[in-house]
Amino acid sequence: MKTLTKLLTLCALTLSLFVGANTNAATFTFTAIPDADESQLRTRFEKVALYLSEQLGIEVKYVPVKSYSAAVTAFRNNQVQLAWFGGLSGVQARRLVPGSQAIAQGYEDQFFKSYFIAHYSTGLELSDSFPAITDKTFTFGSKGSTSGRLMPQYYIEQHLKQKPQQAFKRVGFSGDHNRTIVQVQSGTYQVGAVNYKVWDSALAAGKIDTNKVKVIWQSPTYPDYQWTIRADVEANFGVGFADKVQAALLNMNSPELLKSFPRSAFIKAENKDFQPVEDVAKQIGLID
Amino acid sequence: MLTLANLNLHYDKTAGANTRNKISEKDSSTQVIFDLSLTINEGEKVAIIGPSGAGKSSLLHHIYQELTTRAALCSQRQGLVDNLSIYHNIFMGALARHHWLFNLVNLIRPFKQDLHDIAALCQQLELDQPLAKKVDQLSGGQRQRVALARALYQQQAIFIGDEPFSALDPLMTSRLLDTVLARHNSVIMVLHDRALAMSAFDRVIALDKGRLILDSQQQSIDQAQITALYQTSAIA
Amino acid sequence: MSQPKQPQQVLQLKKPQYALGYWQKVSLSIWLIALVILPFADIEIVNFDPFLELTRMVNGLVTPDFFATEYLLQAIMQTVNFAIIGVCLGLVLGAPLALIYQHPLVSSCCAFLRAIHEIFWALLFLQVFGLSPLTGILAISIPFAATFARVFHDIINQSSDSPLEIIDRRADIISRFTYGKIAQVMPQLINYTRYRFECALRSSAVLGFIGMPTLGFYMETAFRQGNYSEGAALLIIFIALIGTIRYWCPPKLLGVYLVIACVTLVDIPKVDSSLLVRFITQDILPPAIANAATLAEVQWSSLMTWFSALLSEQAIPGAIATITLALLALAATHFISLSTHMIASKHLWPAPLTWLGQFILLVGRSVPEYILAFIFLMLLGPSMLPAIVALAIHNGCVIAYLAVKQSNAIAPQQIQISKLNQFNYHIMPTIYPSMMALLFYRFEIIVRETAVFGILGIMTLGFYIDSSFSEIRYSNALVLITCTALLNVAIDIISRRLLKFEQTSQTSC
Repeated sequence: MKTLTKLLTLCALTLSLFVGANTNAATFTFTAIPDADESQLRTRFEKVALYLSEQLGIEVKYVPVKSYSAAVTAFRNNQVQLAWFGGLSGVQARRLVPGSQAIAQGYEDQFFKSYFIAHYSTGLELSDSFPAITDKTFTFGSKGSTSGRLMPQYYIEQHLKQKPQQAFKRVGFSGDHNRTIVQVQSGTYQVGAVNYKVWDSALAAGKIDTNKVKVIWQSPTYPDYQWTIRADVEANFGVGFADKVQAALLNMNSPELLKSFPRSAFIKAENKDFQPVEDVAKQIGLID
Repeated sequence: MLTLANLNLHYDKTAGANTRNKISEKDSSTQVIFDLSLTINEGEKVAIIGPSGAGKSSLLHHIYQELTTRAALCSQRQGLVDNLSIYHNIFMGALARHHWLFNLVNLIRPFKQDLHDIAALCQQLELDQPLAKKVDQLSGGQRQRVALARALYQQQAIFIGDEPFSALDPLMTSRLLDTVLARHNSVIMVLHDRALAMSAFDRVIALDKGRLILDSQQQSIDQAQITALYQTSAIA
Repeated sequence: MSQPKQPQQVLQLKKPQYALGYWQKVSLSIWLIALVILPFADIEIVNFDPFLELTRMVNGLVTPDFFATEYLLQAIMQTVNFAIIGVCLGLVLGAPLALIYQHPLVSSCCAFLRAIHEIFWALLFLQVFGLSPLTGILAISIPFAATFARVFHDIINQSSDSPLEIIDRRADIISRFTYGKIAQVMPQLINYTRYRFECALRSSAVLGFIGMPTLGFYMETAFRQGNYSEGAALLIIFIALIGTIRYWCPPKLLGVYLVIACVTLVDIPKVDSSLLVRFITQDILPPAIANAATLAEVQWSSLMTWFSALLSEQAIPGAIATITLALLALAATHFISLSTHMIASKHLWPAPLTWLGQFILLVGRSVPEYILAFIFLMLLGPSMLPAIVALAIHNGCVIAYLAVKQSNAIAPQQIQISKLNQFNYHIMPTIYPSMMALLFYRFEIIVRETAVFGILGIMTLGFYIDSSFSEIRYSNALVLITCTALLNVAIDIISRRLLKFEQTSQTSC
């Protein structure tokens, strides 16, 4: 019987806490999902937060997210004011938040590319022409990824003149570039599309058995990851704040910090740099 | 106080309850009381006797329905709540006297006044168990006394009992019966002990196969008649 | 271990003309349906050499790394916090609904709310509250409230009416109800709530998969990225957490825990009501309506095209895949629950062996289906098969766990027969109806859980919903979620019509 009273008090307590909670409006918040290693996210990016905080002279917080769409939602809802987006998610975010600006990209992101990889049993070899992968089983990476989904799907549709669902025997979404490599290596899927940087670093780390899986094609280059900032930071953190953030990002040259992304350096970027991504996304019907 | 004229009751198997009107001709409903007329006056102490299946309980429940706002029922189906303590089960008799908020608080923390009253009542009913004990830990006789105590705690003018002492020994039965009779203006009770019915009640009525056979108000009845009643029933 | 024949089948062999019993018919039809749809289902096994990855998984499992996860304690705490607050809020919302559950409107609303998976609730709330604990708590408490309403209603309904009869009619309804009904079934209600707390812990972990800061957040990353040592450590922690609930969370301490949970919950950001307004008036509207300035400008033809394309390209294929997967999983669950019930029954084995069985049941029901499917995906390839196996293991172990609880309470008959005969002739016939009741109740949950596999890439409705969310097309997501819920409600109604048996809700889950 005592449970009854307890429950009543507890629910009152809970509600009072909900009502009383509030946030510190003066904190600048950002999020980032690196394309390769997602372990120890907070530990690594809190160092970035610390760096930004020193440069900007205000409190900076890092919020970990699980997916590109979650990052876009957080950006749209002003839960984060700055985000390290993939090409596609950046386009989506800037469409949803008018006035937001791409301010920096990784050096490598100017000429990013995807690899198509295949299991040895397919007999496919590296070539310059688009490989004959019709009727194979095929896996993309995450649904919202530029290098693992958008661009590969675009080139597939360009070359095979078919939607992937029709062109392939089976289409999967591994959810992650590392998974794509693992699944093609184990023969779960015959062919897959993967971010070239993830492939290169996995190869360097000895995680890939090149007898089992190899690169069969590399895509033309396209712009990918970038930092995007909301327009209203000027109003909330002072005029010229976006420029200050841009400068802080461009000046980030500690290898330890850059390794988290992982990029060799950040360079300037503008919204129009990502027009190709937007066009492609529209063409394959990922955005209206 | 109560007048029944040409009462017919049906036991509806599907609904599991007595109904006054016959619902259908189907087998699901059997008639249990036939053309029964009876008047019970204020202040009377009436015992209802009869062999098993005579319709005593059905009649009693019907009477309770008629007198519901003035009567306390001590039913054969006790209706104790196993998860509640002796105290709370007895307190259930007093629910109508208090505001619901009072009742709810009492469920969590018993009030002193009621605790005191109920302790006294239990003592009178020779129920020497801790009041906080759950009723599912009690013996049959103890449970019956809890049910009785709850009926008494309703503090009504009329007591309606359906064999409230069936699990008790004869000596205790007669002591508790005295308590019940003393505390109520009118008592209507189904009894299984014929001798006790004859000795302790003003009026005895006997049922058999759903009909009123004997009524001590109309005729003087003796032990022989009653014995005969039980015997014919046993043969038939 | 070989599966002994069921008692029904033993009887069946006695005389050729022996009529099939009710439960035989039901069990047979489950398998018959599964056999009929099997040729149409995608259950191809494709795998050349999973052994490299499997070796790494096994290596990870035997060398769990408990220090690889950052903020581990915080993650454990948030997992517990979400579960506790979610269950309490679910109780506060659900218990009063139980009293009016007999109203068809209330019960169908509850069925609808229940039918939507926690993950989808969270994805919806994510748009309004963002990555706030509120998202996680509401995602748990809303479907839980609907479940509490139904089960509490069933429990209260099954209680005896006789205490109500003797209570003075003049007493007010609240007093009569609390003393006459609620007090009677309080232990069952508390037991059920405790069981739901275990479910809430699982849900809370699963919400980590989409970004809540619970154990699932790190578990999903670890498995996805191939850090199996970290993943194994997280799994072990999670299983231990669930296996020891009764030691660290006795009902008496629930209040204390709730207060601690509220205090240690991560900060709740301010709720921005404009987001809610935007979500309702913009995001969830189909593009044809959202882009039009006035109602007159709405292009109804494009709205129709949008809707019919959505139905024919996503909802219908998704629903077919969902039902196929669920029916096959139902049959497989039937098999797993019978066999795992056997290995953990004290009527068959000496105590130490049943502990092992109990441990298997604990692992089977604690490991999130997502992780199970993930492992089987490596083994069996990307068909429906990993999902079927994962669903069967998880649900089979839940059913067996509840059934073992019941069957261990049965006193063995005092006749000289072997343990196996005792089990087949006494224990199984006694327990079978309630096991089947559990199985059919679980069917509703299986349909819900197919959603999770959509995120792994199996083309159920969940796959299309997840795609809609990742393409930021909330209107599509909402239509598909509604389809999922309606599908679930329909299945619920049909199975209730077809199977007229007493639901043993005290033990249902």
